[in-house]
Amino acid sequence: MNHQSPCSSIRLALCRVAACGLLATYLAMATRCGVAQELRLPASNEIRSLQLTARAIREAVIRAEPALVTIVSFGGVKSVAGRIGGIRAQGEGNTTGVVISPDGLVITSTFNFVQRPPIITVITSDGQTRVAELLGQDNTRKICLLKIRDAANLPTLEMVDPASVKVGQWAIALGVGYGDTTPAVSAGIISAKNRIGGKAIQTDAKISPANYGGPLLDLHGRLIGICVPLNPQSQAIGAGVEWYDSGIGFAIPLFGQQALLERLERGEQIEPAFLGVQVVADNDQAGLLIEQVEAGSPAEQGGLKIGERIMSLDGEAVPDIVTLKQLLSRREAGITVALAVRSSESEEIRTVQVTLGTPPRNPQASQIEPPKIR
Amino acid sequence: MRTTAWLVLTLLTFAAWCSATRAQEPPADDIGQVVKRTQRKMVKVFGATAGRVEGFGTGILVSPDGMIVTAQGVYLDGSQVRVVLADGSEHQATVLKRDRTLQLALLRIERETPDYFDLSRPPEFARGDWILAISNAFKVADHDEPLSVMLGNISLATTIDAQLSARDVAYRGELILIDAITSNPGAAGGAVIDLHGNLIGSIGKIINSSETNTRLNYAIPAPLLAKFVAGTALSAATEATTETANRPVELGIRLLTVGSRRNPAYIDQVTADGPAAKAGLQPDDLIISIGGEKIGSVNEYETAIGKLRAGEEVLLIIKRGSKVLQVPLTPIAKQ
Repeated sequence: MNHQSPCSSIRLALCRVAACGLLATYLAMATRCGVAQELRLPASNEIRSLQLTARAIREAVIRAEPALVTIVSFGGVKSVAGRIGGIRAQGEGNTTGVVISPDGLVITSTFNFVQRPPIITVITSDGQTRVAELLGQDNTRKICLLKIRDAANLPTLEMVDPASVKVGQWAIALGVGYGDTTPAVSAGIISAKNRIGGKAIQTDAKISPANYGGPLLDLHGRLIGICVPLNPQSQAIGAGVEWYDSGIGFAIPLFGQQALLERLERGEQIEPAFLGVQVVADNDQAGLLIEQVEAGSPAEQGGLKIGERIMSLDGEAVPDIVTLKQLLSRREAGITVALAVRSSESEEIRTVQVTLGTPPRNPQASQIEPPKIR
Repeated sequence: MRTTAWLVLTLLTFAAWCSATRAQEPPADDIGQVVKRTQRKMVKVFGATAGRVEGFGTGILVSPDGMIVTAQGVYLDGSQVRVVLADGSEHQATVLKRDRTLQLALLRIERETPDYFDLSRPPEFARGDWILAISNAFKVADHDEPLSVMLGNISLATTIDAQLSARDVAYRGELILIDAITSNPGAAGGAVIDLHGNLIGSIGKIINSSETNTRLNYAIPAPLLAKFVAGTALSAATEATTETANRPVELGIRLLTVGSRRNPAYIDQVTADGPAAKAGLQPDDLIISIGGEKIGSVNEYETAIGKLRAGEEVLLIIKRGSKVLQVPLTPIAKQ
């Protein structure tokens, strides 16, 4: 190389400066590329500031890695019809999990556990393989809880309060799904908060089956959330997978979710809420007009009738369908809500208690769909 | 006194910083500068279109006399391969050689150039480091238009067996996973560089991961490119895959095959005095790994057994009740 590195010329210049005692020149140099300025991330040197970010990313990864596990499961996965070109079915690869208690509670994505594999083994960061069992499952957040047998003193991750997470801050996703037990790193920013009924944080770090179940970290190596496939337009098991590596990714924060985690530890299944009405908004009148009530649905059991109008849910007005959907997506099956309903003939408003249920099973929807690849 | 100490300390810090950034490229301040310098070392490659396979790719100059490394593919099979340099000049290229394991091709154009990647000095890098991926994905650029640039991070340096079906790809070996989305038509052969412009690797052809069912975004490491160009590539990589033609072995067990061969590999019977019996295996043990390979079904067990050699000890991982046990076992030749 003919180029003389500016770096070595600085070093040379500094030697000369020190020798001659030309302090003024030295100070000028020190101000230009001194350590202090380096730490202040000067905008004029974008490469240097990026390099410092990379260092922070590396350190965050190193801090978080001991709390990560590789989950390998056996059986329970039916071979999916219509595999693509010999590619393996969902559920057969390694999955990432995050240890959340020293005695071996591990949180992961339901992505590889929808068929409840009978045999699950977990490789902890010390290289040990242990047997684990699947406890509860939250299908609204697509997370589930595992318990490692005979585990103690496992390292865990510090969790970040989602309220303190800022849109635009750095985010790092980790996962072992590529088949190596060393997790792969993907970096990006927080894109949005309060997504999917307030349950998820959105990121542009590349989220894919390689890191579902893995952590989304901040630059300090703390847990922002668990990476999962989600799609606000669909409750289907595989929904969201089609957006893998697209820059639209989601993570479920666990901070302050002690009640939820306890329910999962008791083995509870948490399902998305289902009401069972078809409604239409009418610009002239407040509320949503009921056009259809599904047979056997919670709406029918609660006594809702065609022609009535839903005015509010738990005191919150429902001016349009989107609002009703949002209110329902913040709730789950088994919860009782109060609906204010206006009769079709009179202006009279009555309150109906409805216990939300689960959507009727579509026999075709029970098959897991692999991500669609052209 | 204090000033002197401070000065010495600062000098030491400078020295440390300078030696830490020993790169073959001079350090730059902004990415634009680095990209501009790199574009001159890169080419657009146009070949034959065959069916759904795109007829274009990206290449990197690797010598002052016009040698170019690009992705191997049917687009190089046509009668003409056209190379367009950053200045827009067009050249007919000769295909010097190809490697089907690395999925690389070496081209040559009759043109001297001061701008090329020096493959003899690969940079150091670590997981999480920034990379720039430069390519002509989707043929966005033509003539003297600059190639497309993406910023991303090193995800993982690993080895992958792309157990791929038929069409197009069969890369196996070392690779560098990145989180810039490069697995797109025409990007293969492009450059993955560090922030100073040093070549980390060349963008690999589209692969679907057998583990995750998704496309991989990856680079073939620069040292492998150097070996390919020098002609010393891959005897090791290809030899490593010749596990066939062994005599069949047996472990002295029979698996539970009632129902489907996709069932987990539970042991049904253990032959008395066989290798498994000697190693302490019992009926109802579940085999979950042989020699580090996951065994998820009877089928996978049979495939794994086919790779073993008689007399060579292998480590089995089994599940017995709620315990996971590691059992070394020496297979014998099938009677």
